[in-house]
Amino acid sequence: MEIKGSVVLVTGGGNGIGEAVVKYFARRGAKVAIVDMVQKNIDRVVKDVKEMGAECIGIQANVTSEADTARFIQGTLEAFGQLNICVASAGIIRDGTMLNLDPETGQVSRKLGLDKWAAVIDTNLTGTFLTLRDAAEAMVNGGWPGLLVPISSVNKCGQVGQLNYSSAKVADALMPKIIIGEFLMRGIRNIRCVAIAPGYTATPMLTGMNQDALKAILEDVHLGRLVAPEEIASIIGTAAENEALNATTIEITGGLCYPKGIAK
Amino acid sequence: MDPIHYNDMQFTVEKRGEGWDILYAKGGEAPAVAAAGLFPGAAEAEARTRALKVIRTVFPVGIRSVGPDVAHPTRVGDLRIVGPDVLHPNFIYWDKDSVTPEP
Repeated sequence: MEIKGSVVLVTGGGNGIGEAVVKYFARRGAKVAIVDMVQKNIDRVVKDVKEMGAECIGIQANVTSEADTARFIQGTLEAFGQLNICVASAGIIRDGTMLNLDPETGQVSRKLGLDKWAAVIDTNLTGTFLTLRDAAEAMVNGGWPGLLVPISSVNKCGQVGQLNYSSAKVADALMPKIIIGEFLMRGIRNIRCVAIAPGYTATPMLTGMNQDALKAILEDVHLGRLVAPEEIASIIGTAAENEALNATTIEITGGLCYPKGIAK
Repeated sequence: MDPIHYNDMQFTVEKRGEGWDILYAKGGEAPAVAAAGLFPGAAEAEARTRALKVIRTVFPVGIRSVGPDVAHPTRVGDLRIVGPDVLHPNFIYWDKDSVTPEP
């Protein structure tokens, strides 16, 4: 698929990896729909993209709402007339171990609450499902060439303290196999699906964390630094242009090894 | 082009190059860009009509539903599952879901 002239929708496009993806495609002549929860982030990115000279639209929405996913797909079609690439990068974290023990009694003192579980599953898994489902519906009905991009994570392997996040991201990593299998079964040939599983990435969430903790994280990364959001965007661009990439999940971690904290 | 007043907001549609920008302002703040470069080649009247349609979709008027989304019922085969009737006298609010206590 040629990037220039294609229409790209990015959820979570107001910062982090999503913002980098928006700007990557805008620089290469794509038309972009920026979907985010936070209007001020949308306004900032839309302004930047406008200054690049690209066509764009910002849409405030919550990916966990069917009404909102229907609305941002509709808004994109009304603005640009088609949809080709959908990157579901909206995501949140609410970390905590399932159980905490009282060090003196050894009894459970605290449990991971349903609030932390459901919020992460709703956004990172259900939100991805709704976004990709409605995007695929538009692509099938429109007959346009399409690419669906779920964003998994290093947690394709799972990480302690993130049972909620890891469960959602493992499921996101599985989506391309299932979706493309179903497309084959239904005779849908115009849409591909490639998930991206980034490693520790230089988003505000990580760069702003405790620097000692960050240093400990980087000890497990062969590259010796965080992955840049632009490097994630670049691999999505490759997935768009290389039609042989399909029904798979691509890891881009800088060579993450697993001596600490990650369940193999 | 005259401004478009909609949903207590003021939108302006401005020509830029071949396309049209949509800007919006609320509460005396500086205008922000809602969309840029849309409808390349469209004449003013067409751009205004299409911009209004986009504005209505992107900035909807109405009540935001939180919880059961009765406007978009789930379908399972031939079954159409809608949210519960929260006004029914037997409807029970369950507000005892666990939450993570602060350490």
